[in-house]
Amino acid sequence: MDYYLSQIINGICQGSIYALMAIGYSVVVGVVGLVTFTHGEVIMLGAFAAYYTFELLGNNLVIGVLASFLASAFVGIFIFKVCYERFFNAPRHISLICTIGTSMLLRNLAQIIFGPNNKPMLEVVPNRFYGQGVVGFTLVQLIVIATVISLSFLLFIFFNRTRWGIMLRAVSQDKTAAAMMGINVRLTALLGNSIGCGLGGVAGMLLAIYYQTLVATMGGSAGMKAFSSSVLGGLTNIPSAAVGGLCLGLVENLGITISSASFRDMFAFVFLLLVLIVKPEGFGRKTGVRP
Amino acid sequence: MKKKLIGLALICVIFALAASPAFAAPKTYRIGVMAPITGTNAEYGKGFQIAMKMAADEINAKGEIKLELIIKDSKGDPKESADIARQFADDPSIMAILGDFTSSCCMAAAPIVDEAGIVLLSPTASNPDYASMSKYAFSIMGRQDGEAPFFATYLLKKYAGAKNVGLIWVNSDWGKSAHDNLVIQAKKEGLNIVADVNYLPDEKDFSSAIAKLRREKPDHIVIMDQGLVPNIINQIAQAGWTDVRITTLGPGTSEQILNLSKKNAEGLLLTTPFFIDADNKPAKAWADRFAQIAGFFPTVHPACAYDTVYLIAAAIRNSGDKVTRESIRENLQNLKGFVGLTGPIQFNPAGDIFRKYLIVAVENGKFVRKTDYEYAK
Repeated sequence: MDYYLSQIINGICQGSIYALMAIGYSVVVGVVGLVTFTHGEVIMLGAFAAYYTFELLGNNLVIGVLASFLASAFVGIFIFKVCYERFFNAPRHISLICTIGTSMLLRNLAQIIFGPNNKPMLEVVPNRFYGQGVVGFTLVQLIVIATVISLSFLLFIFFNRTRWGIMLRAVSQDKTAAAMMGINVRLTALLGNSIGCGLGGVAGMLLAIYYQTLVATMGGSAGMKAFSSSVLGGLTNIPSAAVGGLCLGLVENLGITISSASFRDMFAFVFLLLVLIVKPEGFGRKTGVRP
Repeated sequence: MKKKLIGLALICVIFALAASPAFAAPKTYRIGVMAPITGTNAEYGKGFQIAMKMAADEINAKGEIKLELIIKDSKGDPKESADIARQFADDPSIMAILGDFTSSCCMAAAPIVDEAGIVLLSPTASNPDYASMSKYAFSIMGRQDGEAPFFATYLLKKYAGAKNVGLIWVNSDWGKSAHDNLVIQAKKEGLNIVADVNYLPDEKDFSSAIAKLRREKPDHIVIMDQGLVPNIINQIAQAGWTDVRITTLGPGTSEQILNLSKKNAEGLLLTTPFFIDADNKPAKAWADRFAQIAGFFPTVHPACAYDTVYLIAAAIRNSGDKVTRESIRENLQNLKGFVGLTGPIQFNPAGDIFRKYLIVAVENGKFVRKTDYEYAK
C-alpha cells in the first residue's frame, strides 16, 4: 500500500508540472484561436532563463520564476509577431506550419547558443525527504506543487477580477463580438499569448529543477505532454486543462507501477484516446466548436 | 640548337620527377563519419568528432596518405543513422564509414553497409549481435558478453560484495544485451536480482522506476545506460534513498557524470576497458591534448574513436596501390600487430574484439582506478 501511495505522490507531482504546461497552452490556444507547436521550445527557453539567472544571481526561486516567466513571455511576443499577427484571417494551416517552423528555429538556435550538452540544475532545492520509508514528499515535490497552485490561483484572480482578464476571456470566447465591444483584439491576444508562454516558461524551470538537468532538446516531449493535457481539458478550458495534466501524470505513474517504465507514453496516449472516445469535448463542459 | 636541346632535356627531367612517387601528392581518401553530435549522447558525439579529427590531422601531417573526414550528425537516432549510412554508401568517393555511437544506431546501419559493400567501423557498439550482422560491420569496444559478465562476477560479487541487486536499464539493443548478459552471469554467481526495471531511451522521469526498485530493498543497483546515468543518479539522491550503493555499466569514465551529478555520484562504481591516469603516459599526453581542444577530459569512447581512424589508415596502406571498399574490408579483417591508444586490436572472424576491464570508482569528485587488468584472473 505504501508503495502505491508513493507512486500516487510521484504522479501528482509530475501531473502538476503537466498541468502548468497545459494551463499555459490552453491560454495560448484560447486567445489566439489556433493550435501551437512552439510551446515545447517556450518551456525549454524558460528553463534556460532560470538556469542562467541562478548562475548569475544565486539560487533564488522567486527570481527564477520571474526570469523564466519574463523570458518566455518575450519569446511569446516574437512568436505572436511571426506566426499569428499577419495570419488571423488566413487559413489556419498557415499559422500552424509557421509555429512548426518557429519551433525548429528556436530549438536549433538554442542548440547553437547553449550547446548540445545536458546542463546541471543541482542544489536549487536541497534534497530533503519528509515521510516514512518509501512514502513521503521530497522538498522539491512540495515546491513544484506549491508553485503550480499559487500560479494557478494568481491566474484565476487575473482572469476573473481584472479588466484585462475579462477582456482576455471575451477574446477567447468570440473575437468579433469582443471587437464590437471596443476591445483591441490584437493587443489582447498578444498579451494572452505572452501570459500563456510565460506560464510555460515557469513550467520549464520546474521541470529542470525537478529533473536536475536541462538540455536544448527538452521541449519536444514536454510540448507533446502539454498538448495532450490541454486536449484532455477541451483545449481552451483552463481548469479542465489543469485536471487533464494531473490525470495524465497520475495515469502514467500508475501504469508504470503495474507494468514497465517503457510503456509510459502508451498509458498516456491510450488514456487520451479513451477519454476522447467517451467524451470528445474533453473534461470541459463547453460543447461548442473547437478552435 | 644546343640551347633548345638542353631546354627539352630539362623539361623531360621535370616531368619525370613530377611523375615519380617521391614528388606525387599523397592520395586523398574520403571517410564518412556518423556520430550523435546533438541529443542525449552529444558528449560522446563531440568526443568522436574531436578525437577522429586529431587522428586524421596526425596522419595527414605525415603525408603518406591523406584522409578527409565527412562528419554527419546522427542525433543518436537509428533512423538518422540509417539515412546517413545510405547517403555515404551511395557516394562512390566515400571509402569507409566510421561510427556510430550506440549499438542501436550501428545495427540500423549494418544491413545498408552490407548491401553496399562498405566498411562500417564503430568505435563503441558493444552488442554482441552487431558485428555478426555483416562482414562489413566492425567494432573495437569489446562485447557486452565480455563486459557484463565481468561486471557481475568481479565488480558486483568480488569487489563490492553485493547480495541483493536491483537493475535499471535502457530498453535499447545495447541495454537489452547488457541486461541479458548481466542477468545470466549474476545467476551463475548466485546474486539475487530483487528488482528489474527498464525504460525507453528518451525517458526523463525515473521517480516511479526508482520507487519500484526501492520497494525491494536492494543493497546495490546497476544502471545500464550512457547519457541518462547522471539523471538517474540525481533522482535517486532526490528521493532521499541513501542506503544503496550505485553502480553503472555503460557510460565509462564520463565527465558528464561528474559535472551533472556532482556529489550525488560519490562512491559510484563502474567498469571501463581503458583508463587514463598519470601512470599511462602516452594516454595522459593524448588526453591533455584532447582536453585542450574539447574543454573536457575524454572517456574510453573518444579514445576508441581515435583508434578507428588509425585502423582505417592502416587498412588503406595495406591495400597497396589499388584501394577499394572491398580491399579496406579485407585488410581490416586481417590486420595483425596493430597497437592503438586503447591497446592491441585484432579482429575475430565476426569483426569485433574481446577486451579486459578495470574497476573505477568516483572519489572526491574524481574517477579513481581501483583494480588492474589482472583482477579478473
